[in-house]
Amino acid sequence: MSTTAKLEIRDVEQRFDSTVALSRTSLNVRDGEFISIVGPSGCGKSTLFNIVSGIQRPTGGRVLLEGSDVTGRSGQVGYMLQKDLLLPWRSTLDNILLGASLTRRVSRADRAHAAGLATQYGLGDFLDHYPHAMSGGMRQRVALMRTLAFARDVMLLDEPFGALDSQTRMEMQQWLLRVWAEQRSTILFVTHDVDEAIFLADRVVVMSPRPGRIRQVFDVELQRPRDLETLTTPEFTTLKRDILALIYERDAAPGAPSPSSGGESPSSTPNGRQA
Amino acid sequence: MIRARHQDKLWLRLAVPVLSVLAVVAVWLLLVHGVGVAPYVLPSPSATVRAIADDWDVLSDGIVITGKEFVLGFLVGTATGFGLAVFMAQSRWVLRALYPILIASQAVPIIAIGAALVIWLGFGLTPKVVIVALIVFFPVVVNVLDGLSSVDEDSINLARSMGGGPWRTFRTVRLPATYTPLFSALKMSATFSVTGAVIGEQTASSTGGLGVYLTQQQSRLNTAAVFADIVLLAAMGIIAFALIAVLETIATPWRRHGSAPRRWRTHVSRPGDVAPGSEVRPAEAAPPVPASKGAR
Repeated sequence: MSTTAKLEIRDVEQRFDSTVALSRTSLNVRDGEFISIVGPSGCGKSTLFNIVSGIQRPTGGRVLLEGSDVTGRSGQVGYMLQKDLLLPWRSTLDNILLGASLTRRVSRADRAHAAGLATQYGLGDFLDHYPHAMSGGMRQRVALMRTLAFARDVMLLDEPFGALDSQTRMEMQQWLLRVWAEQRSTILFVTHDVDEAIFLADRVVVMSPRPGRIRQVFDVELQRPRDLETLTTPEFTTLKRDILALIYERDAAPGAPSPSSGGESPSSTPNGRQA
Repeated sequence: MIRARHQDKLWLRLAVPVLSVLAVVAVWLLLVHGVGVAPYVLPSPSATVRAIADDWDVLSDGIVITGKEFVLGFLVGTATGFGLAVFMAQSRWVLRALYPILIASQAVPIIAIGAALVIWLGFGLTPKVVIVALIVFFPVVVNVLDGLSSVDEDSINLARSMGGGPWRTFRTVRLPATYTPLFSALKMSATFSVTGAVIGEQTASSTGGLGVYLTQQQSRLNTAAVFADIVLLAAMGIIAFALIAVLETIATPWRRHGSAPRRWRTHVSRPGDVAPGSEVRPAEAAPPVPASKGAR
């Protein structure tokens, strides 16, 4: 597997003075793989993302993209947050072109490509809209298109749908799966929502805090394409129970049965937000 | 809310301010002709207009001279204020060091500065330009600093993660955030800085101008001429304000519109034409995927 890794996180470690934000972490991501990362606050997810995106240089370890060292080098992968961070003075199209305009002169081909992407994924009627004239879901679509137009190879999505209502969220998840499948991107997706994590991913990485680290990686062997039905299959429920058990383990009394109860309704899951 | 106002009928939007100005003139007329206030206290509107016409040669020169001081001072003040704000925003230590000096500079009465400036710079154009610039400069610095610091730190991180260098990041992500507060500052200054030009001329001047004219006519108790001068000064401030307001709507269309105005639209063709399959690297854009994905 290590020979075909698209993205390799090798022994990465981040210390701030005496505290360890992220203890030695390794993860291999295959080309075209969708990985979800779940875990409570302080488990080092954001640190990990900052390192992979190159904003932050780790105190130890390396990040390899297709075999070449990109540790501490920004501009190699796409990065998206819960906040859409659209620039209010830029239209949809110009927001999508942000990456291009930050690094070079925007060409006609850039524009045409961005307009094509936007049109293909339901933003065709919004090309000239300013962000304030669009709904939260639409704005997140624009933000994802911005990420995609910049680097469709590897995208880091940090709770991108965290601020959306549950219906919009469901729509956005299916929409994201479509984009991912058609663009053959490799995606790392941070979320607090275990349902969302499982629904989207090929593998779910569970992290835990103090020090931030990877606890366990779960394979998700649910069939694709996935839809609403997927959420109620026995495989889904079993997996969810296992993941919840792991997340809440440290809070449970020793020897007590794990408090997870599997089949709750989507997005109402108690999901590791507690300290 | 802004857009709701924007949809009001044009004639209504024009008629209301015109009516309110007419109402002021009506009160003025009433005071002169109805109440009978003496002409040396309050000249009638027609007397004021006549005063403008009678002395037009001198006044038109005055408009040019004062206007020049005003415009130059305005530009200099805006440019230095903007530059200083950008410089101060580079580091919080620079900000902390310069802010008290900046505030102190505004606490000194402009008339006192005017006296010093005349000693340093003489009776010509320069001291007046400096006074106007000093007035414009402060609100510009404060507002532009606000604009620069209003930008979400995550936006800057995002730009950096996309490989944007410091200058490009600044220009793309932070600079446009200053436009709205900058224009607020300019609209405020537009009216203040006329005062600045007048004070500058009244402190000492060898060049004439509306401020000098004002002093002369005041000493002759020529109320109509004083009013004529006041009307012209007011007009100057109003025109400056209006020009800046127009410039603002052109420069910041996102504040009034839901979508980019046509002239700002930058893509090559209309949305409908850009369907995947034209010049859009079609093969990559939409590969027939589901099968390959399902195989995983």
